[in-house]
Amino acid sequence: MKPRFRITPQGAGHEPSDSELLRYRDSGKLSYNYQRGRDLLHRRPLYRDPKAFLALLLIVLLAWLISEGVLDGRKDPEPKPPAQGTP
Amino acid sequence: MGMDKETEEIQSAAADPRRFTVLYERYFGEVFRFILRRSGNRELTADLVQETFLRAMLALPKYQHRGLPFRAWLYRIALNELRMHWRKKKEVLIDLSFTQVKGLSEEFDLRLDEDDMQRLAKALSKLDEARGQLIQLRYMDGLSFLEVGQVLGIGEDAAKMRTHRTLAQLRTYLAPRA
Repeated sequence: MKPRFRITPQGAGHEPSDSELLRYRDSGKLSYNYQRGRDLLHRRPLYRDPKAFLALLLIVLLAWLISEGVLDGRKDPEPKPPAQGTP
Repeated sequence: MGMDKETEEIQSAAADPRRFTVLYERYFGEVFRFILRRSGNRELTADLVQETFLRAMLALPKYQHRGLPFRAWLYRIALNELRMHWRKKKEVLIDLSFTQVKGLSEEFDLRLDEDDMQRLAKALSKLDEARGQLIQLRYMDGLSFLEVGQVLGIGEDAAKMRTHRTLAQLRTYLAPRA
């Protein structure tokens, strides 16, 4: 994004004072967010969890079996009875 | 702050995140002002600063200290955070004060009055994003060429050369048309 500049005597306002900076500084919040961020980063992926992996495999297998069954049904439609007495 | 002591602090924080507080407290003010100069909004700046330090903390184990200033590494992360925030916006307006552009105006013998500052703002707005960043880092943030290079991911010499080229470009934008 290309910014546009504006230059005025005061600019965006006065620089924050040390006491104002102290108000915004929060190392407790940072530590909390770090723990959450680290947990997310180091979360064990699904494929490395044997139980979850088996469950996932079962679902995929079931889905495949159902889709095969549906396809087989489409491939062999019931034969139409022969037409009778057509002129 | 001696480099060796800071290197130790960085290594110690990489091994034990609880020790990051020392670095957080030391650089909080600088990073806050760095982002505020670009965002112009204190509440938004507070959020972006928090995000910057969080990313720094998570990336610290991979940080390699090569004798370059640590704050430049933080500024680089801060700029990425700002870029991600700006991506959602249609227009970005950077408000600068006469004091902030004093050094840059001296390069072009401009007076700190409304007319000249309007010309300078117009010329700065014509620069592409990378060149605009370069000028801000050098003249508004007062970084050395080494630090400018580190923030932009280029060498010190390249930072020097690009700054001179950008100043030349600004000079042509500022030149009165015949």
